Amino acid sequence: MFDLLSEIGQTLRNNKLRTGLTGLSVAWGIFMLIILLGAARGVTNSFEESMGSRPTNVISVWGGRTSMPYKGYKDGRWIELRESDAGAIKEDNPGTVSRVSPFASATANISSAKDAISGFEAVFPDALRSERLTMKYGRFINDLDISQARRVLVLRDEQAALLFDSDSVAVGKTVSAMGLAWTIVGVYTHRWNRSTYAPYSAYKAVTGNKTDAYQLDVTVEGLTDEASGEAAEDAIRTSLARQHEFDPDDSNAIWTWNRFNSYLRGKEGNRILSMAVWIIGLLTLLTGIVGVSNIMFVSVRERTHEIGIRRAIGAKPRSIVIQVITESIAVTALFGYIGVFMGFIVLQIINHLFGDMEGFKNPTVDLSMAIEVTVALIIAGAIAGLFPALKAIKVKPVEALSDE
Amino acid sequence: MIITLRDVNKTYPGVVPLHVLKDINLDIERGELVSIMGASGSGKSTLLNILGILDNYDSGDYHLDGVEIRNLSENRAAELRNRMIGFVFQSFNLINYKNALENVALPLYYQGIGRKRRNILAMEQLERLGLADRATHLPGELSGGQKQRVAIARAIVTNPSIILADEPTGALDSHTSKEVMQIFRQLNNDGMTIVIVTHDPGVGAATDRIIRIVDGEIMNSNV
Repeated sequence: MFDLLSEIGQTLRNNKLRTGLTGLSVAWGIFMLIILLGAARGVTNSFEESMGSRPTNVISVWGGRTSMPYKGYKDGRWIELRESDAGAIKEDNPGTVSRVSPFASATANISSAKDAISGFEAVFPDALRSERLTMKYGRFINDLDISQARRVLVLRDEQAALLFDSDSVAVGKTVSAMGLAWTIVGVYTHRWNRSTYAPYSAYKAVTGNKTDAYQLDVTVEGLTDEASGEAAEDAIRTSLARQHEFDPDDSNAIWTWNRFNSYLRGKEGNRILSMAVWIIGLLTLLTGIVGVSNIMFVSVRERTHEIGIRRAIGAKPRSIVIQVITESIAVTALFGYIGVFMGFIVLQIINHLFGDMEGFKNPTVDLSMAIEVTVALIIAGAIAGLFPALKAIKVKPVEALSDE
Repeated sequence: MIITLRDVNKTYPGVVPLHVLKDINLDIERGELVSIMGASGSGKSTLLNILGILDNYDSGDYHLDGVEIRNLSENRAAELRNRMIGFVFQSFNLINYKNALENVALPLYYQGIGRKRRNILAMEQLERLGLADRATHLPGELSGGQKQRVAIARAIVTNPSIILADEPTGALDSHTSKEVMQIFRQLNNDGMTIVIVTHDPGVGAATDRIIRIVDGEIMNSNV
């Protein structure tokens, strides 16, 4: 093996310019492949992260407008969800639905001595989890807040800083909303959510017992595939159809957002993206392979005489084939790795410059990808060398020796 | 007998088929130094190619050192060439980017012998031919006579049954030619069987037996 490699080293050194030019096309192909893979990885990472910021087994439900007449009702009727729907969904699906939390929305102005913000969400304690909030100071709304209908608020750090001098001093302060005093009990942080949260029971109390819910977050257990996601969605729709008397087949009566299924679809999209990148990358690499193949043909032609000498003194066809193919793999792999290396460097630069950008997170390639690329390179080199090698063994020693 | 040819025929196909070898019968004994002489186009090169297992023949029999040479696979032919035949060519046919030592060692590489042992064996042959100080020189840095001596070293490094030389002095001046012929004589004295193809009467005269070939037929075979 060492002998073979030193033989190859000798022939490559002997043809520096030719080797260099061929290598350039391979290096470029691999470079592009790495950049594309890295970019695709960036998009995928960003998707994973945005999905990661919410639990994926939650189906959100909003009221809509019926599009079919049902049981004497005309179509075009508005469906308004209520707090009691939560209990109904949970009762109808005891095995699958673990939690339903209603959200209501109030438009009240919330003002401090310094400034004012508008609107809050009336929620239950588990909104902390379903909205994936991270508490920075104080606490989130708890069960006691609900049972005693305490007038407390949880603010986002930015809003807290707006209302007070700094978000760190907000907890314990009082603000006014709807003509009443509310106490700030916590400050959270989130990438894009900016809502203010209040206990649902307090909302009911201050609005004269309104029990509307613009949104229900249904936490579903045991989801495995798209079909089970759709089944859960249908079960929720059926429960609500009975409560609000609309046709269970009416897809406009309520609107749903199945995060689990969008996650699956997103994953599928990412899979297609990375496949497309591999195809484009391999096609780019193909240009390099054709280049290597071409140059190996030239090399075989140029060395017809030398191959003839080798054959005359006892080289078997097999050793000639092995030499040509190994030489091709050596050129492809050597320059391929130069391409990989350059690609890594450029990706690091891109990552440094744009790594925090929305939709393009940490565009890098990892070890497993490097191994895949290595395998691709070796196969590519072998293919590139195969046909020239077969041509080389067709050379008859007699003819080659007379080829002066 | 190290070489026995019986009624060997060779025709090159074409619009007008060319019958280059006609019922060739030839015996060469172990330890002989013979020359095959003939004008160009007489078929002597074809005969040499057949003797060297570089080309096939159409009919007849060819035995080389007890081995029947007929319808061999490329692999088997390569193996026999490597083991039994040492080639010396008119234009030396050294690989120009390999130094003298590497060129001499190349046949041993195809025998699968390790680098160290190869280099020792190759160095022995270079010493035998007085080229030890040129071992690391590339062919381009050697004179014609030196190149041919490197080629001879390469031919004998595998200790073959015969040496086949195709116009070995064709590219050399008369003084150097004499030296090369002296080397062949020396090797023959050491027991090597040598067949030289030439059209140079001087070279022919320096061998023990001349086989004349005219229009594909052997004329006489005198001592």
